[in-house]
Amino acid sequence: MIFVRYPQLHRVLTGSVAIFLLGFSLQVAAQTTIPRTTDGNPDFNGIWQALGSANWDIEPHAADFGPVVELAAIGAIPAGLGIVSGGEIPYTVAARAQQQANKADWLALDPVVKCYMPGIPRANYLPFPFQIIQSPAHIVVAYEFASASRIVYMDQPDFEAPLLSWMGHSRGHFEGDTLVIDVTDQMPDTWLDHAGNHHTDALRVTERYTHIGPNTLMYEATLEDPNVYTRPWTVSFPLYRRLDENMQLLEFKCVEFSEELIYGHLRKTD
Amino acid sequence: MGICARPIKLNKPNPGKLTGMLLAAGVLCCGGSLLAQESSWQLSRTIDGHPDFQGVWANNSITPLERAVGFENRELLSDDEYARLRAGVAEITDGGGDAQFGDGFFDALVSGEVQSYDPSTGNYDQTWMSHRNLERRTSLIVDPANGRLPPYTDVAAAKVTARLEHIEQHPADSWTDRPLQERCITYGMPYLLAGYNSYYQIVQSKDYVAIIQEMIHDVRVIPLIPKSAIDEKIRLWHGDSRGYWDGDTLVIETANFSDASDLRGSAGKRVFMEKFTRTAADNLQYEFTIEDASTWTAPWTAVINYSSSEDPIFEYACHEGNYGLSGILSGHRAQEQAANSNGN
Repeated sequence: MIFVRYPQLHRVLTGSVAIFLLGFSLQVAAQTTIPRTTDGNPDFNGIWQALGSANWDIEPHAADFGPVVELAAIGAIPAGLGIVSGGEIPYTVAARAQQQANKADWLALDPVVKCYMPGIPRANYLPFPFQIIQSPAHIVVAYEFASASRIVYMDQPDFEAPLLSWMGHSRGHFEGDTLVIDVTDQMPDTWLDHAGNHHTDALRVTERYTHIGPNTLMYEATLEDPNVYTRPWTVSFPLYRRLDENMQLLEFKCVEFSEELIYGHLRKTD
Repeated sequence: MGICARPIKLNKPNPGKLTGMLLAAGVLCCGGSLLAQESSWQLSRTIDGHPDFQGVWANNSITPLERAVGFENRELLSDDEYARLRAGVAEITDGGGDAQFGDGFFDALVSGEVQSYDPSTGNYDQTWMSHRNLERRTSLIVDPANGRLPPYTDVAAAKVTARLEHIEQHPADSWTDRPLQERCITYGMPYLLAGYNSYYQIVQSKDYVAIIQEMIHDVRVIPLIPKSAIDEKIRLWHGDSRGYWDGDTLVIETANFSDASDLRGSAGKRVFMEKFTRTAADNLQYEFTIEDASTWTAPWTAVINYSSSEDPIFEYACHEGNYGLSGILSGHRAQEQAANSNGN
């Protein structure tokens, strides 16, 4: 009715819809146009960080008291929906019991509390940024936490790990526009979070990094370890590009912050 | 596991043939290029057109940081001296004796005294060490012209003396009395010790250069794009770096060092400039200048030749296995307890 009375408005609105639809299609096109390096590969260069509380517990959990109640709000554990597909890690009975034992004494047992390197995938959801520096043959992932890092070998699929390491042995390749990294040969000592979730040296992590926007990646990792899990299982969460002006990694060498905890009982007392 | 980088003097039985062998030679060296040049070699470029420095590089040069006494105003060894150096290195290496770190090789050959850094509890033997690259150069320092560090300022000399006195009286009251490298924090920026985990890998993207340092695992991420300097209140163990290409040379300027980031007495006031130039397929020339008027009476510059390596970088998980520091502290506590028990 209104268009009969105001035919010009009809034209204006029709044009607006067309412009809106054009804008929408451009937006879709922008989302499917991912950044690329000079050689045409998907470009993962940048400083990235996960949000959420997976570092506390990768399984769904309610908010809870922290281990040091004097720290009140800053020491309390925030709730989280969890990042494990299906909600629960498919542990064997014995491995679940081990996780519960770990959790009961996590402040003393969690290697990250002592500033040990966090391993994969945990390094990717710590509350610290990390930077990817990408070349055709190697991708470096530099983590702010504890100066940890990985070299992803993109051109050496047959390069076997020389030995176990805290950050594992990473070999990568592209599947379409997804960066796939196979991580093997990790030390059994690392945990997956503060809640005592764990693995053995048989752990194999298959990571998948996929652009879902110009400043967002979807991260997915499948964990296989027949010593402690009854089947492969997956975690997934977004990684956000840090867009802060002049963003850069800073130092969190960490060691200095753990020395009182580790060596305090060995200080000379008068 | 931390390694004490401060050698403890031990005069071992003189190996005889090494005695004064270098000092005896009086032939002045001819000039010539410091670096091996390959006439057919051409600098390759990354996909983004930058000079390609990518690969694993080793600082295994045998040349000491400072020129030894007796070599004043002589930048290069003579043919005869060089031959004797080569023979002496082979003798030490094949002899299966204690490991020689950093400048230890050259010092031993000049003095004729092979020193162990830890004569009390035993040392690494030479099989642990990397193969060292021989050069004719008598010092890494190229400026000042005498190849030696400039004199300390009075303030810095007093500070260094006070620190040494403190360590003598309080060698291990706390972990903070121990060297930073023993605590697995840092070997300093730059890391100068040659032949001991002295490996680096360079990976280049369009806008960044990553320099992976094997020693105590560290990655320096150098931006090549314009970025504002960070606030002066942010002080860092390894400083804050900005890089740019000057022709085919990568120049990196670093400031914002923390007051704890000790490098031979210099810390928060030092400004650090590095120049990387690939001079051959197997050589990356690393020149750096350190300026800190509060510590040295003049800036100084050194050149290290990094050689290419086919080996990968290994993960140096230092802090994760630092049983040594616990052992040192508990050993001192045990000594004190024993002394107290004896009524001392």
